[in-house]
Amino acid sequence: MQRRDFDAIVVGSGISGGWAAKELAERGLRTLVLEAGGPIDPVRDYVMLTQPWELQFRGWRDRARQERERPVQRRCYACDEWSEKFFVRDDQNPYTTAEGKPFLWIRSRQVGGRSIVWGRQVYRWSDLDFEANARDGFGTDWPIRYADIAPWYDHVERFIGVSGQEENLPQLPDGRFLPPMALTCAEQFVKDGMARRFGRERVLTIGRCAILTTEHRGRAACHYCGTCERGCTTHSYFSSLAATLPAAQATGRLTLRPWSVVHSVVYDPRRGRASGVRVIDAETRETVEFRGRIVFLCASALETARILLNSRSERWPHGLANSSGELGRNLMDHTMGGGASGTIPGFEDRDVFGRRPNGVYVPRFRNVTASHPDFVRGYAYQGGAGRAGWGRGSSMAGFGAELKQVLRTPGPWSMNFYGFGECLPRRENFVELDPERVDAWGIPALRVHCGWSDNERAMLRDMSVAAAEMLEAGGARDIAPYVQDNPPGLTIHEMGTARMGRDPRTSVLNAWNQCWDVPNVFVTDGACMASSANQNPSITYMALTARAAAHAVESVRRREL
Amino acid sequence: MERRDWLRTVGAAVPALAALSPDDLLAVGRAAHARAGGSGALTAQQQATVAAIAERIIPATDTPGAREAGVAEFVDVIVGQWYAAGDRERFQRGLAELDDHCRAFLGKTFGDAAPGEQDAVLTGLEAEARALRAANPSAPRHFFDQIKGLTLHGYYTSEIGMRQELRFHVIPGRYDGCIDPAAIPAPPGGGGL
Repeated sequence: MQRRDFDAIVVGSGISGGWAAKELAERGLRTLVLEAGGPIDPVRDYVMLTQPWELQFRGWRDRARQERERPVQRRCYACDEWSEKFFVRDDQNPYTTAEGKPFLWIRSRQVGGRSIVWGRQVYRWSDLDFEANARDGFGTDWPIRYADIAPWYDHVERFIGVSGQEENLPQLPDGRFLPPMALTCAEQFVKDGMARRFGRERVLTIGRCAILTTEHRGRAACHYCGTCERGCTTHSYFSSLAATLPAAQATGRLTLRPWSVVHSVVYDPRRGRASGVRVIDAETRETVEFRGRIVFLCASALETARILLNSRSERWPHGLANSSGELGRNLMDHTMGGGASGTIPGFEDRDVFGRRPNGVYVPRFRNVTASHPDFVRGYAYQGGAGRAGWGRGSSMAGFGAELKQVLRTPGPWSMNFYGFGECLPRRENFVELDPERVDAWGIPALRVHCGWSDNERAMLRDMSVAAAEMLEAGGARDIAPYVQDNPPGLTIHEMGTARMGRDPRTSVLNAWNQCWDVPNVFVTDGACMASSANQNPSITYMALTARAAAHAVESVRRREL
Repeated sequence: MERRDWLRTVGAAVPALAALSPDDLLAVGRAAHARAGGSGALTAQQQATVAAIAERIIPATDTPGAREAGVAEFVDVIVGQWYAAGDRERFQRGLAELDDHCRAFLGKTFGDAAPGEQDAVLTGLEAEARALRAANPSAPRHFFDQIKGLTLHGYYTSEIGMRQELRFHVIPGRYDGCIDPAAIPAPPGGGGL
C-alpha cells in the first residue's frame, strides 16, 4: 500500500523543490515530492539532437495548434517547435487578468519544472539589494542581509556548477566559479572601449551561468550545441532533474509522485499546524491526502499563492497563513527590453566556433553610488556580439550563385545590450482566486492584477539611452536604441506573493521562509521575495531554500515542529 | 512503478551517450524524430514551378542546390499548413501569374524555360517587389519576397544546407569566440553525408 505519512512534503520539483528535496532528504527526513505534471525521461523527451530538417515546420512551429493550445506559452522564446511540450497547455490551465492589464504566466508542469527550460543565468544579490526596501521605503524590509545568505550561495554554487569571471564589484558579489566562457572578438573590443570611457562604473563581463565549463560532480562539460532549452542529455546545465533530484534519490528517503496536482494545504485547527496536503491525481482525478510534519511550498510564486489562497478553512477564510492580508500581493516581475544594438566594424577575418549558450553581462550601475534623478533601484544588461548568419539573405538584394556564395560565410559583427530592471513591490499588484473559472482539475483559477509603475517605465527608457552610450564608447556604428513594451510576466521572474519580513502584520514569512501563522509551512520559491533586485532570481531561490531546509530540519530535531 | 522509471535513466543517459560519436548521436536524434510529409497544398505543376524558382535562388554549385535539398516540399507545408489565408492566396496568385507570364512571353512554363530566361523573369519580379516595398513598407510581402524567404529558410534548415553548405557542427565540443576561420575544423565526415 502506498505510504501516506512523511516527515516532509515538498510541493513542486523545479529549481526550488529540487533543492528542498535534496537538503531535507540528505538531512534525514523521509521526503515526498509532489509534482503536478508527468515524468521526464531525458532519453525519450530531450530533443537536443533533433535537427531542424527533422521537424515539420523547420522550427517555425505549428502555428495553428499553438494558437489553440498554448496562446500564452508561445510568447516565451523557448516554447518553440522543439520544446513546446515542456510548457503547460493554456486550455487546461486557465487564468484571468484584470481589464486592460495583460499578464503573461509562463508555466511548466513536469518533473524538473521550469528548470528544464530556464535561462541558466545566476547572479548573487548584495546588500545594495537586501537593504533597498529599508533605504527608499518601497515595500517592507528584508529580514535578512547578504551575510545571512552568502554561505548558502557558496553551498549552492559548489553543487550546481557556475561558470563566470570574478570582477570584485560590491553590487554583484563574486561566487565560486568554474572557468569563464570566452568573449567574442567584438565583445572584447566593446569591453575595452567601455573601460576607457566608464572605468569601473560600467563593466562588461561574461555571463555567469549554471552551465559547466569543466566536468563537475559526474556531469559533463558543455559541448556547445547551443540550444539548452531542448533538454541537455549530458546534464551540462543545471536542472533539478539532472542534479538535485538524483541527489535526493540517492539518500533512499525520497518518494517522487508525478501527476499530483496539489489542491490545498490541510490545516489542523487543534494543533495550529498544517497536517499535510490534499492532492488531485491528474490521471485518476481521485483526491488523496498526504500527511507531513513540515510542508515546503515550491510550486512557483503564483502557484504557491494559489494553493495557499485555496487552503480556506473556518480559521483561514481568506487563505492559509494570511493574517497579514499580504498573501497574493506585491507581485513583481523584472521589466525588460530597453536596450540598443549596433554594428561593430572590423574583425572580418575572425569568427566564432561553437554555439555559446551564454552572453555578456553589464552589472547594475544606476543608484549604486550616485542617485539617479528619474528612478530608484537599477537594472543590468544581458547581451552579446556575433556575426550575422544566412538569415540576413532575405533582406539582401539578388539571388543565385552569388547570393549563395556570400551567405556561405558569416556577415558583419553586431552587438546588443538588453536591459533587465528591478520592479518595485506594490500592494496593488496582486493575485486572487477567480470566483468563476476553474482549471482542468476543478481548482479555482487565478485572477492576476499587475501593471508597471512609472519607476519601471523610467528605467526602461534609461536602459536604451545608456546602452547606446556604451555601444558608442565601444566603437559601434549604426547604433539603434529601442524600448520594448513587454507585459509583466514575460520575463518569467514573477515573485513576491508571500513575502518574507520582520513583522507578522505586514509579511507572510519570517526570516527562515516560515509562515508566521503556521510555522510548519515553508515557502521558498519566488513567492518569498520582499523585493526583486534586477538579478535573475533562481540562485537566490535555491540558496534561500537550502537555508530554510537546514533550519526546518533543526526545528524538527528540537521537536519544535 | 513506471512513474519512477525516469530516475534510472538520469544516471544511465550520460555514459550511454558519451560512448557515441557525434555522427552516431545525430543518427539517434534522427531515428527518434521522423520527418513529417507534405501537405498537398500545391499541385504537382505548382510544386515543379516552386522547385524551379527555388533552384534559381539557391542553385547547385560545388554543393547541391534548393531542388536537391527538397525546398519545394517545405514550401508546400508552409503554404498549406502554416500561412494565414491572405498569405496563401497571395502566394498562389503569384505562382499562377508567373506561369501565365512565362506562357505569354516565352511560350512555355517557368519550369520549361532556360536558366537565363528564368533569371530574367525573376529579376523582373524582384524589381516589382522592391518597388512595392519602397512605395509601401508595410504592404503584405510580394510573391518574390515570399518565395525567396521560404527558399532560404527551407534550404539552410535542410540537412544538405546545414551539413554540406554551412558545414554545421552538431556537437562542436568546444567554444572559441575569436578564431581564424581557416582553423575551424571540418565537421565529422567533412560536411558531406
